[in-house]
Amino acid sequence: MKNFQVAIIGGGVVGCSIARELSKYKLDIIVFEMGSDVASGASKANSGVVHSGINSPPRSLKARFCVEGNKMFQSLADELVFPVKWVGKFVIAKNKDEVRELERLRKVGRDNGIPGLEIKEKNEVREKEPNVSCFAALWVPTAGITLPYEFTIALAENAVDNQVRFLLETRVTGLKKQKNRFLIETNRGEFQAQIVVNAAGVNCGEIVSMVEEPDFQVYPCRGEYLVLDKNYSSLVNSMIYPVPKKELDVLGVHISPTIEGNILLGPSAEFVDDPSDKRTTKEMMKSLLKEAKEIIPALPDKAVINAYSGLRCKLASPESGGWADYRIEESKHTSGLINLLGIESPGLTAAPAIAQEVKEIISQFMELKTKNNFKSKRVKKKRFSEMSTEEQSRLIKRDDRCGRVVCRCEQVTEREVIDTLSNPLGARALSSVKYRCRAGMGRCQGGFCTQHIVRIMEEHFNMDIADMKLKSPGSNLFHGRTREVKND
Amino acid sequence: MINQDVDVAIIGGGPAGLAVAVSAREHGVESVVVIDRNSWLGGILPQCIHDGFGVEETGKSMTGPEYAEKYIKMAEKQGIQVMKETMVLRFDRRREIIAVNKKGIHRIRAKAIVLAMGCREKTRWNVMIPGTRPSGIYTAGVAQAFINLYNIMPGKNVVILGSGDVGLIIARRLKFEGANVLAVVEILPYASGLPRNVVQCLDDYDIPLFLNHTIISIEGKERLEQITIAQVDKNMVPIPGTEKQIKCDTLLLSLGLIPENELSKGVGIEIDNITGGPVVDQYLETTLDGVFACGNCLQVYDTVDMLSIDAKRAGKNAAKHIPIQKQENTGQKKDRKSSIRIVPGEGVRYVVPQLVNECGTIHLTLRVEKPREASTLHVIAGGMELLKKRLPWVNPANMIRVDVNISAEAMTSTESLEVTIR
Amino acid sequence: MTKEKEVTCIVCPIGCKILVKTDGTQFKILEGNKCKKGIEYARNEALDPRRMLTTSVLIEDGEWPLVSVKSSQPIPKEKVFTVLKEIKKTIAKAPIKSGQMVISNVADTNIDIIATKTVKKL
Repeated sequence: MKNFQVAIIGGGVVGCSIARELSKYKLDIIVFEMGSDVASGASKANSGVVHSGINSPPRSLKARFCVEGNKMFQSLADELVFPVKWVGKFVIAKNKDEVRELERLRKVGRDNGIPGLEIKEKNEVREKEPNVSCFAALWVPTAGITLPYEFTIALAENAVDNQVRFLLETRVTGLKKQKNRFLIETNRGEFQAQIVVNAAGVNCGEIVSMVEEPDFQVYPCRGEYLVLDKNYSSLVNSMIYPVPKKELDVLGVHISPTIEGNILLGPSAEFVDDPSDKRTTKEMMKSLLKEAKEIIPALPDKAVINAYSGLRCKLASPESGGWADYRIEESKHTSGLINLLGIESPGLTAAPAIAQEVKEIISQFMELKTKNNFKSKRVKKKRFSEMSTEEQSRLIKRDDRCGRVVCRCEQVTEREVIDTLSNPLGARALSSVKYRCRAGMGRCQGGFCTQHIVRIMEEHFNMDIADMKLKSPGSNLFHGRTREVKND
Repeated sequence: MINQDVDVAIIGGGPAGLAVAVSAREHGVESVVVIDRNSWLGGILPQCIHDGFGVEETGKSMTGPEYAEKYIKMAEKQGIQVMKETMVLRFDRRREIIAVNKKGIHRIRAKAIVLAMGCREKTRWNVMIPGTRPSGIYTAGVAQAFINLYNIMPGKNVVILGSGDVGLIIARRLKFEGANVLAVVEILPYASGLPRNVVQCLDDYDIPLFLNHTIISIEGKERLEQITIAQVDKNMVPIPGTEKQIKCDTLLLSLGLIPENELSKGVGIEIDNITGGPVVDQYLETTLDGVFACGNCLQVYDTVDMLSIDAKRAGKNAAKHIPIQKQENTGQKKDRKSSIRIVPGEGVRYVVPQLVNECGTIHLTLRVEKPREASTLHVIAGGMELLKKRLPWVNPANMIRVDVNISAEAMTSTESLEVTIR
Repeated sequence: MTKEKEVTCIVCPIGCKILVKTDGTQFKILEGNKCKKGIEYARNEALDPRRMLTTSVLIEDGEWPLVSVKSSQPIPKEKVFTVLKEIKKTIAKAPIKSGQMVISNVADTNIDIIATKTVKKL
């Protein structure tokens, strides 16, 4: 089928939230994602924080959608089976002057309707965070952490379960409005849709340019992160943020525990020209570590085990202060094109609320009939490493592939890798395996499991080694064969 | 749960595990089981198709697979039980191992355990190379497995970081298979592998070796496209203005090996931060009673020959431990208070073993901090010199072995033994 | 034509750089060796350099796709790539036993290529 009622461009957390929300209604929906899996852009390269909303100005869309989204998170996590932990956040003040900032933040937070905000003295903070040095801190109980890629995958898989079509490795190359439908050109052919939702993230300007002159400019702003070894997970219990810096409207270097027990340092903030420039730099890595040590003096250098970066879609230039509100609206010139522009932090938190807003906008165009067979729950198998030995024994009796462990560090079985590669989105990159069952995410970083996963791809899924990718359409793993086989 | 009681359980069926198994049997142990996570025995050896193995041990130079097969045949002949494609999930202080394979979950109660898990490779993030994160970056061992075991070529235009033997060997292998090996980059002023390998892997094929250089950036949006190298000063800091870009599609990392001790840490065995392996006494017993360690998980060896010698000792000691075990099972080290520490002093990076708890001859293996000519090794207990040895040349890449006689007097006179090189 | 060249001795880890003079049949050490073993090594390297060759051969019907092989003796250095070319064209059939001859008299060198691994039939 090539005609749809709604086409969503972008399979990030926002696009997938919208897809899932709309899948509650009797609509033909398609999602185009240019990467080899959902959450290929900023959606996987962030801190995984479920923000409270204290950092957004009251009455802004950022504040509204963040607070609304935050409230929806727990029930979404229960329905879709992805983890969320309400670890809370301390915004710390180094001295008395900074306490004024804490008071300002508390006021903003109260204006935004955020409960439980309290300024705590140094000793109270020490009780909860013995390794953190500060003068005082603002305690934010409604801040939490999640796994952003797992959240996005859960949304996408549930959407597929509810008949949404996902096309991965599909790039929108042209968009034309003809009468009351859109003609969408992609590298996989032409499609038609009544409504186009532009959830293309940092590339949102490119999509708008296909049909009209954009009235905005995108200023890509890169955020780098450092990941610390799980051995140091006891350094902090909740998120630790310094008081926001005035220079640039970004959050500053945070220290965030992750669901899996690592600690994240970051993000940095650097405006770049190229929206795909996801380098990590020596300078930033040094600064992140240095700033983190000011807050946690006990942090050793060798604690770092990984680094990554993501690109924020900013709508305000550095000169103007770098802050702009979300723009979630139908295009004024092209009716039926719903643009989501500038969805940077707190985008992950805001995504479910933004999805509802988009649904509201679409309901102006067409009647949304509720499905009576909407599957609200996602079924996710328990990880082998989380089972009791009895459960494991029973499982292996039924299927002996559950007894072959192919990832030592994360104790992942052959069965789990096969299930992962059989995912409903059809994502088959090596990183798709990593993000779904954790094989390759441990200390040896794929040193043991990579060869076994590749063998499973070859033998069980008949994949050609020439087609195997790391994470994106052009990231081939291999060059060819050592010895060419006649029938290869 | 499939239950089993054994005398000696060996975790790891690579060269160390096999040598331990054979030795334990030779010293009278009845039930020996070797547990390995792969579907083959020999560990890393089957992919090391080059020769040079076993020269000291047998006088012949064998390839890795041949050396492995020799020990596998010995183990078969001695009726040693082998569990392949079996992953040890954990073991506890009572020496109960929980392992899993296609048959189910196994609980193996052992009178002695020998740790022989080998090592893993250092990754890009151990040295934090900035840049993008494209495909085409592999550790040298993983690339070697793909080329030699699975008939897969990882790339065509290759740069290798690290001039240790692993990096040098793979440079030649790639050349043989038609790849362009554009450079081997080494941060030290000298190659860290054997001169034989520098000659036969690099010089023979005109592969450029960039000493005093490191990689300062990796570029490529999806697959690797180029790397930037720069010369470093004596503090290993890149010198501005010396940057050079090399277009390539593959980067192989030969940055060094890390002993694999997640299982050991999980049960609270004391680990030496410098070797990365368990703290052991002269019997190669760890700080957990009845648990021994050998092979690359104890310390990274230079040659399999030296590794096998020590592994056989571990097998012998594990065998001896079994009758003792019948008397006590406290999980605590016996006679801890009377053991003395062996401390690496000036010029010495580390010494194994780290503990001595009985007088007698102990076999020390150690590495120096930097290369030197005409130096002297001293082993000193309190004020007493136990050993003095002249060494014409020393190098961190060459493990030094010495035997030291420790008298009862020396044992009581001091709390630590110092080993120095001057 | 007499040439001077530098040979890195590989007999022990010191790796002396030995300067030699040779015209292909005559040989003279100019300087560099620290011991006698170096002389023997440098002579061979200057007059008749040879290398042990280890590589892989494609197999049919085996539990592994490749079998590792070695030359039965060191082969003349200048023939390495010719030998490799022939090895690359060879396909062996499983089962293969370690020590089994895979190619006899490879590239007219009178040297054989021997399997170094046992590969069972699938």
